[in-house]
Amino acid sequence: MREPRNPFRMRSSEHIDSDSTFIRLFCPEGLDLLPQNKLWERVQIIRSAPGGGKTTLLRAFTPNVLNTLYESQSNEDYKMLFNKMKQLDVITEDGPNLLGIVLSCSRNYATLEDLDCNPVQKERLLYALLNARIILATLRNVLILKKMNYPNDLHRITFEINIDAFPADIETPCTGRQLYEWARSVEKSVSDIMDRFGPIERKPIQGHDTLFSLEMITPDHISIDGNPLKCRVLIMFDDVHQLSLNQRRKLIQTVIEARPVVSVWLAERLEALAPDELLASGVIAGREYERPINMEEYWRNVHNKRFEKAMIDIADRRARSARDIPIVSFDACLQESLDGAKWNQVFQQTIDTCEKRIMDKKGNSKKYDDWIRSKEIEEGTLRQQAIGWRTLEILIERDLNKSQLSFDFDNILSLDELEHRDNSSAQAAAELYLAEEFNIPYYYGISRVTSIASYNIEQFLDFSGELFEEIIASTLLKRQQSLDPSRQEAIQKKVAQQRWDDIIRRIPNGRGVQNFLLAIKDLANEEWDKGTASYGGGGGITGIGITMVDRDKMVKSDSNYQHAMYKNLNTILSLCISNHLLEVTLGLKQGGKSWMILYLNRWLCLQFGLPLQYGGWKSIKPKELINWVDKGYRLSDKNGGSLFDEG
Amino acid sequence: MKGDSMRWDPYLLKGGEEFGKFCNQYLGLGEKEILYVLGKGFDPRMCNGIEQLLYYGGKGKRDCLLIEFEEGEESSSHQYSPRAHRNLEKLHELMSGKGIIRRESVQMWSGDDIRKRRIGSFSAGNVMSKIENIDEYTDIVVDVSAMPQSIYFPLIGSCLSLIDERASHISLHIIVCENVMIDKRIIDDGIDDKAYYVHGFSSGLENEATEGIPKIWIPILGEGNSVKLERIYTLVSPDEICPVLPSPSANPRQGDDILLEYRELIFDQWRVEPKNIIYSSEQNPFEAYRQICRTVLHYEQALNPLGGCKFVISAVSSKLISLGALLATYELKRKGKSIGLAHIEAQGYTMQRDMSDFEANNELFTLSLSGSCYE
Repeated sequence: MREPRNPFRMRSSEHIDSDSTFIRLFCPEGLDLLPQNKLWERVQIIRSAPGGGKTTLLRAFTPNVLNTLYESQSNEDYKMLFNKMKQLDVITEDGPNLLGIVLSCSRNYATLEDLDCNPVQKERLLYALLNARIILATLRNVLILKKMNYPNDLHRITFEINIDAFPADIETPCTGRQLYEWARSVEKSVSDIMDRFGPIERKPIQGHDTLFSLEMITPDHISIDGNPLKCRVLIMFDDVHQLSLNQRRKLIQTVIEARPVVSVWLAERLEALAPDELLASGVIAGREYERPINMEEYWRNVHNKRFEKAMIDIADRRARSARDIPIVSFDACLQESLDGAKWNQVFQQTIDTCEKRIMDKKGNSKKYDDWIRSKEIEEGTLRQQAIGWRTLEILIERDLNKSQLSFDFDNILSLDELEHRDNSSAQAAAELYLAEEFNIPYYYGISRVTSIASYNIEQFLDFSGELFEEIIASTLLKRQQSLDPSRQEAIQKKVAQQRWDDIIRRIPNGRGVQNFLLAIKDLANEEWDKGTASYGGGGGITGIGITMVDRDKMVKSDSNYQHAMYKNLNTILSLCISNHLLEVTLGLKQGGKSWMILYLNRWLCLQFGLPLQYGGWKSIKPKELINWVDKGYRLSDKNGGSLFDEG
Repeated sequence: MKGDSMRWDPYLLKGGEEFGKFCNQYLGLGEKEILYVLGKGFDPRMCNGIEQLLYYGGKGKRDCLLIEFEEGEESSSHQYSPRAHRNLEKLHELMSGKGIIRRESVQMWSGDDIRKRRIGSFSAGNVMSKIENIDEYTDIVVDVSAMPQSIYFPLIGSCLSLIDERASHISLHIIVCENVMIDKRIIDDGIDDKAYYVHGFSSGLENEATEGIPKIWIPILGEGNSVKLERIYTLVSPDEICPVLPSPSANPRQGDDILLEYRELIFDQWRVEPKNIIYSSEQNPFEAYRQICRTVLHYEQALNPLGGCKFVISAVSSKLISLGALLATYELKRKGKSIGLAHIEAQGYTMQRDMSDFEANNELFTLSLSGSCYE
């Protein structure tokens, strides 16, 4: 295969063939989400939406990658990754200190559930298949770690096993070759049962009673050329969500109860969780396993700038790998400013229009005269002045609404009061209002590209990849390499539209999901059109809030009646959350209540023309949400929200 | 092909006007006890094949095995139940007094609403084993016109397997009613999240013991299937890709159009070498079958000294050409090659309200896969 023309298109890590390319593209910041404490002693569950970077993270701990990293430690580009791996005790001065084994559960395990045999037999077959595959994967990875030839050097491995559960049909100690042949035949016999046409043969089904392989692949049991394997062992079960419900439950339970000597990580998509778990963000932890890592949540909780920094790092690494064009910095190719001559005329027009509208609004009142005068003498670029005037218009709109309630029309408002009210939220809203009213670009620049990613790496690559495509074309056509804001916005809107259209194709009940999201959009637009931008963040609504009490009712509906009532809503919400269309924030305290906030993914904000900031939400009763699922949002219906429960 | 003779060379394929002539001639040869297998669905082509077959008469039994797909309450296809019902009424009318209609249901899903698993392929692979009196028939005709790929691949595979294992003389025929205009108007509604290997054709491709052996993927391409291709790619994770383009085809630019549509996927993401592209006639599944067999054997010759390779075939294309993928996989698997069929399913379909204008373009094809014509 050829070198990539647009490296942003190389999405998931398993599709990056060479380990050196993988290391070159891997962002070391991603390792920070691993807990520093007792990382190797407890079972660790890692979750994310599709494209969150789970598989990439796991691959970083495999022998090929660690060997390549160790050999390239002097390379400046890899220094940070090398040091982080050293801190985690994965690599030492002598070489890799970890035997990382990835075992994908996306293989044919779930088919076992469909066989015409009893549950005990199915369980025995599941254990047999898992044991065989864990052993085979271990043998292969041991040889890779020791840079030996697989499978030719299998005879150099010796297993000395002394565990009760080990099957009688293989003697121990045994060589790697003997164990390989045994495991291979076990795997083949189970695969053959699954792949034959017609009913399975009615002879006794062989299988295993337990997942004994976790007990046997400890460093104490393995030696190579007579020397013990001196390193830590980590089994990484990837795509656990692909198992059937029973199998997943059984695997997690078995792994936890076994308290294996080896470290175990379980990576799965959020869709593995049942609706009640999803709406609780799966936040259960125990003595035996660490609090699950939710990758998007991790990035959301650390400072926003860290995610932005990590994404810029990822983008730069990919840009540098492009085949046809020499680009060092991706963000340098995205123009950030609208202060050029091209836009000055537009901004002058916006200032004039805003000023005139303000004068019309205030009429003969002198209440806002000081505020207006301050804007008239304000310095700065025309863009800054335009934002200033539009912000003033929002503040006056808010005040006029308030005055109608309090009948306070004449008190002249001071400059201190203006300064107090002129906050970042109002300014952010002003910028978006200007963009809408005067056709000025808003969704441009690296910060907003990373915001649109909503803390999901694949989503970032999706949007930035399309921008990079245009950069390549511009360079090849010998045009200006950097993209102007209008073009950036047009490209990103195109990607958002494609993603929107794809919902129907990609997600079960995609039309229902779209209708629900459109209801949130209608609610948001209705509030936005009031012109007061009175919500948190960017001034507009980009999410909905459900009280934790209501949430509990939804997920723990006891009666059949309640269950049926919430079933469709819970299904739609689960689909939205597991596919990262809605982002959950739990336990937010506001107005004396505790809330679950469901924010729109930021690419949906782009699609719906909403602000990208978090913080603006409106409370909705579950009953109203059920109506949304059935009929959509009705503009005239005010029953859903209440005046005080707003963020 | 050195020493590796191909099972379906020569082959028997009749289409268009030749279809009627062949039916007339074949059914006139003597008594034929026919089991006609077809799927119950909303596709307006469901009864075209059996109507033609019954029209040409002949002696012998004319039984029908109607496969009903249990898609669950939420399938978007339910909106077309009235059409499916009309098709069923027509079938009863056609079969009236001519033979029995036996019904077999195929469960498409198992599990609960959110975490349900697709099992249609698995269920379909077991349908034929439920027919106790299969040996009473001289001919089995599988009409795939109203069946999804996930059903007709394992169904035909299990028929062939049954015939081969019993060294039976049953003649197996496949009927397809092709109509590009109608195909274009039946649109996938929600693609499954995950592709899978068709039941009976996974050949241990996912076995850990063969991990690390290079995998060659040969997808037959059709238009408008980028999501399906992406997801099959994720399942297969190939080391080398040899896309098959339809050429010659009714629309001479179809191959170019497909390349244009998938240029980003094929050249940017998968980095396919243009020299890997294979061309195969759109209306001759046996040519696709031959091309795939040749490609597999060439790769084997090259890679066997280095430890061998594995093959995955898939077809996101018209039904007719997709049969080539099935035949190649079936034959090569029986020859002991490590080869499988990867597939991904749509969760439902939407179609245009009235398709009667396009029905004039229906074209029936029949392929004979076993029996007297190969003896």
